[in-house]
Parts: sequence; C-alpha cells; structure tokens
Amino acid sequence: MNPTLSRRAFLRLAALAGIGAGLAVAEYAARPVGTATYVRWLARGQRRAVLDPPAVVALAHCPSYQDVQECLRDLWSQADMPDVRGRRVLVKPNLVDIVEEYPSTTAPQVVAAVVDLLAERGAAAIVVGDGPAFRREAWPLVEQSGLAEVLARRGVPFVDLNYDAPRPVPVRDGWLRQAPVLWLPRHVQEADLIVSVPKLKTHHWAGISVSLKNLFGVVPGTRYGWPKNILHINGVTPSILGLRQTLPPTVAVVDGIVGMEGDGPLFGTPVEHGLLAVGKDLLAVDVTCARLMGVRPRKVEHLAWGLWAGVGQGARVELRGTPPDALQRSYAPPPKA
Amino acid sequence: MREVVRQGLKFLTGAQNDDGGWGYSPEMPSAVEPTCAVLLALSTLSAGETARQRAVGWLWRAYHEDGSWGIAPDDPEGGWQTAWAVLALTRAGEPPEKLAASVEWLLSVKTLRFTDDELQRDIERILDIDPALRGWPWLPGQASWVEPTALTMLALAAGPFAPRAAERLAEAVQYLNDRRCRAGGWNVGNPVMLGAPLPPRAHPTAWALMALNAVAPEAILPRDVAALKEEMHRDGGTSALALGLMALAHLGQDDGEARRRLVAAQRDDGSWEHNPYHTALALMGLRGGRL
Repeated sequence: MNPTLSRRAFLRLAALAGIGAGLAVAEYAARPVGTATYVRWLARGQRRAVLDPPAVVALAHCPSYQDVQECLRDLWSQADMPDVRGRRVLVKPNLVDIVEEYPSTTAPQVVAAVVDLLAERGAAAIVVGDGPAFRREAWPLVEQSGLAEVLARRGVPFVDLNYDAPRPVPVRDGWLRQAPVLWLPRHVQEADLIVSVPKLKTHHWAGISVSLKNLFGVVPGTRYGWPKNILHINGVTPSILGLRQTLPPTVAVVDGIVGMEGDGPLFGTPVEHGLLAVGKDLLAVDVTCARLMGVRPRKVEHLAWGLWAGVGQGARVELRGTPPDALQRSYAPPPKA
Repeated sequence: MREVVRQGLKFLTGAQNDDGGWGYSPEMPSAVEPTCAVLLALSTLSAGETARQRAVGWLWRAYHEDGSWGIAPDDPEGGWQTAWAVLALTRAGEPPEKLAASVEWLLSVKTLRFTDDELQRDIERILDIDPALRGWPWLPGQASWVEPTALTMLALAAGPFAPRAAERLAEAVQYLNDRRCRAGGWNVGNPVMLGAPLPPRAHPTAWALMALNAVAPEAILPRDVAALKEEMHRDGGTSALALGLMALAHLGQDDGEARRRLVAAQRDDGSWEHNPYHTALALMGLRGGRL
C-alpha cells in the first residue's frame, strides 16, 4: 500500500517546517550576541517604533557663529532638555585633529555657548574635555582651535581625556562582547551629564559623524593607544552603540553651522549649512541630522542598528523649531572604503 | 638651564606617589608609562637615586606573570607599556635575565597581519601600505602603529636582546620605511587614507627617527628630519618639542628655538603641565637625553 498524506497533515508539516526554518534563521542571526540579547534588542526596537513617545529634536537656522548663543537658548528650551542645576557636566566637543584649511573640529563659539548656557542654568561644575585620536596631546589642538581662549575667559578647565586617570567599567546592554570592560576617564565616569557637541560631517568609516560617533573621543589613549584601534577591531558600530549605552546620560548640541562633506572626518569640504540641532536622544538627533544631510539613516550602519535595537528613540521623532525643509542639504558622500 | 633642570627634578621627586610610581599628574595613581619616563629621565640625569630604586620596585610589582605590563598593576591586559618597562628597567641597570620573559612577550605578541590576496589589494588601495609587514601594536591582536613599533625597537635595541630580535627588528625597519609619509616623517600609522596623503606628525616622527637611529640609521632620509623640525613647531606642545629635541639629539642636531619654547613653557612648580610624564620628556629633551 502506498503511503498517503492528507491535505491537513501536509499543511501541519509545512507549518512546522516553516517555524523550524524561522527559528533556525533567528538562531543564526542571534548567534553573535546570544539569543536573549537579540530578542531583547528586537523587542525594544519594536517598542520604540510602535509604543514609545517620540523623541524631541529642536532645529534652528543659525547662519553664523555670532548667532549661536541666542539660537541655543531657544533650542534648549524647545527640546525639553534636562535640568542641569547642581549637576556635574562634561562638555565633549570634537577635537579629532587639526589639518589646516579643513573644518574638522567643533567651533569654539558653539562650545562657548554651551558652557554659558550650562552656567546660566546652574550647573554645579562644568569641564570641557576630549581625547584626540591622532594627537598625543590635546592642548595644542585646544589652543590652535581657539578653544583655549574661550575657556580661559570663562574660567572653565579643559581635561585631556586621554590622560584622565582611566578606570574599568562594564560595557552595558550586550555590546562589545569581546571586550566586556572598557577603561574610561575619571571625568567621564563622574559626570552627571555629558553634552556631546560634535561637528556635523561625513565620515569615511562610519558614514556620518555626529553626536554618537563623537563619543569615540572619550576612550583614553593612555590605555588603548592613538588612534583608538580597539574601537575598529571590535567594530565601529558596536563600539559606538556600546559607548552610548555605557556612558552617563548624554545629550547633544550639533555644530552644523559649517559642516563637512566628502572626505570626512579630516579632509572634507566645508558646507555653509547654518544648522544647529539640539536633543536629549542622541539617536534621534543623528537620524535627523542624517536626513538633513541628504543621507538615508538606514544606510548608515550604526544608525540602522541603533534603530533596530532601540538604542534611543530614532524611529519616531518630533521636530521643533525651524522647519526641516529650510535646512535640507545634500552632502557629498565620503569616498568608498 | 641648570635652574630649569633643578626645578624640574624637584617637581618630579615631589610628585612620586607613596607606592614609588608616578601618575600622569601628582594627583593620579601610578601608571607604567609616566613611571618609566621619569625613571629614564632620572637615569639620564643621574639624579634621584632613592626615587629610582622605589620606581624600579613599583614597576616589578606591576609586572604580569607572562612578562608584560599594562597601564597599571590592576590592568590584566599587557600592552605597549611593556616596551617602556623593558627600556626603562634596562637603562636603570636591571639584569637582562630578569627581562627575558618580557622580551619574549614583545617578540610573540599577536599582531594583525594580512596575507589574504584580495584583502591585501583592498588595504593597499585604501591605505597604500604593505599589510603583510609587522611592526608592533598598542595592544595584542591589533594592527601595527608607528609609535609602539618604534618604542619596542628602542627597547629591544637597548639591552643585549638585539640578536634574539634581529628578524623582527629588520621587519620593523621595513615597516617604518613602508609607512613613511610622502613628504617625509610619519603619521600615526598609514601614510595615505583613501587616496589623501596624510601629513607627518611630530610624535610618531620623533619616535621613528630615534628607533631607526638605533637600529638602521642608514634608513633615515633628510626629508624625515626636515618634517620633524617643521612638525614639532607646528604642534608646539610640550611632548612634541621634547621628543623632537630628543630625536635631534640622537642625530647629533639641536634646535635652539624649540629649546627656548620648551623652557618658556615650564610652570612655576617646575613642571611641564603639572604632568610627570611631560616633565620627564621635557628634561630629557633639554638635556639632550638619549633613549
């Protein structure tokens, strides 16, 4: 007698095979991070996209650096930024390196405006710090960028984060599984709030460099060397998102007044963009800035992963201030690596 | 100059931590790099005998069983600080046999080396380097970079280790030749990024010149020295000027303007930037210290 399979049995088997194949694919996809972490990230990403309230990002057309103070005061209020009264705040500009004629660093006027605003709002202690990736010493960059003068006038200290007594801290949220502990500078660990103040630019490895990528500068050279090769060895994207999840609460003020397109982060071309962007969710800020640069966020790996895993609320963003249409540009992409 | 050095030494001896090491500032815990730099400076200047002994003791307490050193005693991962320790302890007169395991660690440390044809072509296109050549990494398992390569070359050339390390030293010379910037001198690693030539920088150029002078002086090109002289002034920081003067001293040269700028940067407490590491480099630079 020939074996026969009823239609119902066939459908049951097909359904089981489908479920099995789905589980196998999911298991394979989850293997690098473990199933529990994968499911947690997936669920969080879905929750952000569907259930969580939108993140607020405030935008201003700020045509010159002379207008920054006023623009920033407005944006800080519009973006529902956190109360800084009595808090220790680390302001983190981008001082990656200075190459003559290339606007690769955050303008000192923007740092000055942030420092003044924090002081007006009652921050208990303000320090400005960065750990440049390509220079053994930050101070020449601080002087040559004009930041030294700005800080001296305000009596605000600069901390070279490459030399700031680093101590080990566990990396949170399952990122950097191969390096579960990161050594971070004292002022980073002790900050109640970090303000990431990046220069808006394209980046040949990361696609764009805004408030998330700017976090690389907190990794200390005295532990990891110059540049911070560990962040590339561990993967640029997991390193960016791992830092975001490990650092104290961090907000963003983006210097896109003069941005950089093309061969960023060092050799790009200036863009007179006139953009100042403020927000307390770094992913939302960077997703918004990517769009304003003419870059699709899901084409930037660390933004795509951040959106998928819900590392911030990038899926739903409420824009305030200047309408985005007035700030839309199309940045030339970086050369392909 | 004598008073400048005296004040600098006074700062250094006062900044030594109770445990015998130095941090990157007097308020920071001891770390291997500044301790080694100060130990080298004191050895070079034949000063601070007691301080030196205490520093040697601290370094041995920070030593890992596998022969390496990390940033501090509680750092479980050995790294580029191992080269600093071998160099400083050799100059401090520690017997070579006590450093044998550290030399082996340096010679066997895992370094990224690309030998796959397709990957090699990609890297050559992007960075214009030969990725099969090894120098030394900052940390095990990473790519080679100019500064840790040069530092390790100096450490291996300092004691009786050069014959044991001959093959790696020869490869390191090739590595430095390959990584030279088109204008002369060195950036931190590769000379080109996606078709854009990278500028030389003072620190890696100074380290590379000292290392090549110790191992293969014939490999030094006049444009490397010219790049150093320009870049140390363009940077203008304490460590750039100090390392620049040290490298020039290795080559039998001097730079009066760099010397003047460095002296002018000394603080009232005798330090450079309140930092024992920078102060040690500054003193070695001003006294023509050789590594």
